[in-house]
Amino acid sequence: MAQLISVDPVTRIEGHLRIDVEVEGGVVKDAWSSGTMFRGIEMLLKGKHPFDAQQVTERICGVCPLVHGTAASYNLDDALGVELPDNARLIRNLCLGANFIQSHILHFYHLAALDYVDVTAVAQYAGNDPALLALKDKVVALVKAGDVYPFLPRYESDDYVSDPELATILVSHYVQALEMRKKAQEMLSIFYGRMPSFVGTVPGGVTVHPSVSNIAAFRARLSELRAWIDSVYVQDIVTVAGVSAYAPFLTGGDSGGNHLAYGGFDQDSKGSEKFLPRGVIFGNNVAGVGEFDEEKLTESVKYSWYKDETDWLHPKEGKTDPDVHKEGSYTFLKAPRYDGKPMEVGPMARMLVLAGLELSGKRKEKKLMPLVESLGLGGAVDACVKAGKFGILPRHAMRALECKLLADEMDKWLDELKPGEKIWDKKDIPGESYGRGLVEGPRGALGHWIHIKGKVIDNYQCIVPTTWNAAPRDKNGNRGPIETALLGLPVPDAENPINVVRCVRSFDPCLACAIHVIHPEHNGVREFRVV
Amino acid sequence: MEKKGLTRRQFLKYAGATAALLGLSESLVPQIAQALEELVSGKPPVLWIQGQNCTGCSVSFLNTNYPMVAEIVLDKLSVRYHPTVMAAAGDKAFGVLEEAAKGLAGKYVLVVEGPVPTAEGGEFCTFGLEKETASLNGHQRRKDKPMTAWMEELVPGAAAVVALGNCASFGGIPAANASVTGTKPVQEIVKEIDKDKPVINIGGCPSHPDWFVGTVLDYLINKRVPELDRYNRPKMFFGKLIHENCERRAAFDAGLFLEDWNDDNPDMKLCLFKLGCKGPVTYADCPTRRWNSGVNWCVGANAPCHGCAEPSFYKDLSPLYEPLPEVHFAGLTPMVDTLGWIGAAATAVGIGAHYLYKQLGKKEPEGGES
Repeated sequence: MAQLISVDPVTRIEGHLRIDVEVEGGVVKDAWSSGTMFRGIEMLLKGKHPFDAQQVTERICGVCPLVHGTAASYNLDDALGVELPDNARLIRNLCLGANFIQSHILHFYHLAALDYVDVTAVAQYAGNDPALLALKDKVVALVKAGDVYPFLPRYESDDYVSDPELATILVSHYVQALEMRKKAQEMLSIFYGRMPSFVGTVPGGVTVHPSVSNIAAFRARLSELRAWIDSVYVQDIVTVAGVSAYAPFLTGGDSGGNHLAYGGFDQDSKGSEKFLPRGVIFGNNVAGVGEFDEEKLTESVKYSWYKDETDWLHPKEGKTDPDVHKEGSYTFLKAPRYDGKPMEVGPMARMLVLAGLELSGKRKEKKLMPLVESLGLGGAVDACVKAGKFGILPRHAMRALECKLLADEMDKWLDELKPGEKIWDKKDIPGESYGRGLVEGPRGALGHWIHIKGKVIDNYQCIVPTTWNAAPRDKNGNRGPIETALLGLPVPDAENPINVVRCVRSFDPCLACAIHVIHPEHNGVREFRVV
Repeated sequence: MEKKGLTRRQFLKYAGATAALLGLSESLVPQIAQALEELVSGKPPVLWIQGQNCTGCSVSFLNTNYPMVAEIVLDKLSVRYHPTVMAAAGDKAFGVLEEAAKGLAGKYVLVVEGPVPTAEGGEFCTFGLEKETASLNGHQRRKDKPMTAWMEELVPGAAAVVALGNCASFGGIPAANASVTGTKPVQEIVKEIDKDKPVINIGGCPSHPDWFVGTVLDYLINKRVPELDRYNRPKMFFGKLIHENCERRAAFDAGLFLEDWNDDNPDMKLCLFKLGCKGPVTYADCPTRRWNSGVNWCVGANAPCHGCAEPSFYKDLSPLYEPLPEVHFAGLTPMVDTLGWIGAAATAVGIGAHYLYKQLGKKEPEGGES
């Protein structure tokens, strides 16, 4: 007999997400993903000065402000015809990279790790390391006081890492990671003023000149972070992924096999070459990675709280007409599709695209595959390829590998900065113009589109990573990536659906980003020229 | 104290850092140490819920430097509910809220991040589940529980309510869509439930971690709500005008303005007024406190203050990169350069700001005395 289990709130993500799963015989048979909060952000921008866009869209999300501000800057650059100075391109890369580092560390340790590590096992630590003993004392004191918030309550499970030695080390890394991600925020602050809600990028460039002192301040923190990523973050992922109880998650939690990356981190002023490449993969055919074609984007609202006549439009023509009473709907998220298919976006999509390009010889300089081999992960990758599935563990692992590759590359970008040279290309606001900014954020492919008319913003649209991943079913009944990933996962205990949240959290969902849409009364313009 | 893994020396250092955060004299360190010590025995429970938020204030809170976030979350407070950090999910998570409302009435601090949408029965923001079910495509699902219902359940038992960030305090960006979502600031919702319940507004988009941590520590040490300005903001953080404390004030007074970001004046960092700086109308201690462990702040990054701590942010301060409206002073030609001259000539603090407020047709916040 099938049983419906509802998880709301899904915590340790950004925002308001509800997950419903139908369980039969201890296995997920069906799943529904629901975004349960709506604000309305883009409407604010209509009639506003185009320069305001990056400041307002940053506030779509306090976890991802950097990505929205960056996408908006490239969007405006495009609309204004900016020739981006190299210094500005590099500083944008460095700051976006710093945000990837803080976001990926935060995700693994503070959002995901409590699904795998038993914090209370620290009380049993029997070793002699003074720092770990201090941590043990702290946990013992919490347990004695009967106040182990926010670590308890939790879903109970018999497969937490409960070896006292290993659990204590991992929990100590949880605490270290708080300081590490803070340092990554400080890096951003050096060039961008502060985080969250930074101010250092504007249409046409950036506001801070590179100098010997700010480069040194940035590099000092980067060096410390690179060492920590190599010796702690990546190693912890390899350790946790190697726990035998988690072997089913190597292929369990596959989102359906379709992956999309816009690419990010421009390596030249035209953006023709990107450090993280652009591409699409279908059916987990990694070596067959194909070209991305923007014309193939559509959005479905069949199961979303928006009126049906807005179904299956190109996002740039997207209409948003809320109807919270629409029969059969269950989410504020739309269902974006590429070539009619649901697509996973994020670190795994990007790393699979990169792997595909390396394996097919389209990218000459190989970085990812040698790293995979050096970490002894070759066998795990082979198992995924053989099964034709990439699940929860690869999603975590590829996030860590991306973090390492990016942090190493950032050191080179620092070397390329040229103090004293241009940081801004001043351009007047055109009477009418269209723009587009496609970037990659920690959570995946992000697009911003603008229409300027009469020197003010006439329409502004965003398509955001979690809208892809946490999307509902579309008009053809195809489930969204998270909905598909949940199918087949074991849920032996309905009171403790730990594997459901493990799977959802592996996508690093950000719901504030995913639901940011406009109300038509405030934004009458629908038409978007293809740019 | 040793039980908590802190030596006496470390503890006094910690008390000293707390004094610095709150802007108190070092002579008060012993009293602070004593008050903090008393706290160790009974950590006040905190319920941190999220409405139409972006989690930016939570992320900013994680950037807290002294004390470090792990110390606050584990040693100073009993953070029972925080959706971004807590281990529990689903029933086990919102069950903590239900238990607290019943078992901890009068004891917990309710922190609200993001404002509350009231339209459509609160359907624009829900978390947790009702007991009743409703049919969806042939499945019986438990109904969503609106934020408005949580406020009704949690406000009565709260010792105090903290509205964290500009959205929660004043409506902020989500309130711009209030005609659709019925979005209200936290204090309006609280007033409808219990008009005597203290609400502390900590503005900023995002709020500075010190503003939140400092308010909480102050509350714990003095066992009372700190002195608030007319917007219910703690005066200790929102009492000073950015313009009056800006490190580039000399450039403003000298009429040296940045107009092209490629200009890099090595002798004097240029004033950002002409690029839209809202420092002359914004009350916050950013120039001295700075952000991200003191690494930088907006003006330090050669970028204008956008006035994100003001109740009028964002709508009434746009366009962000255009100078504030021209100022008329004693019949002189309205010019920014003139303003610079006024600033130089006037020894009275804040004269530029008073005039700007008059020109903008707004009331000046009373936090401005210094």
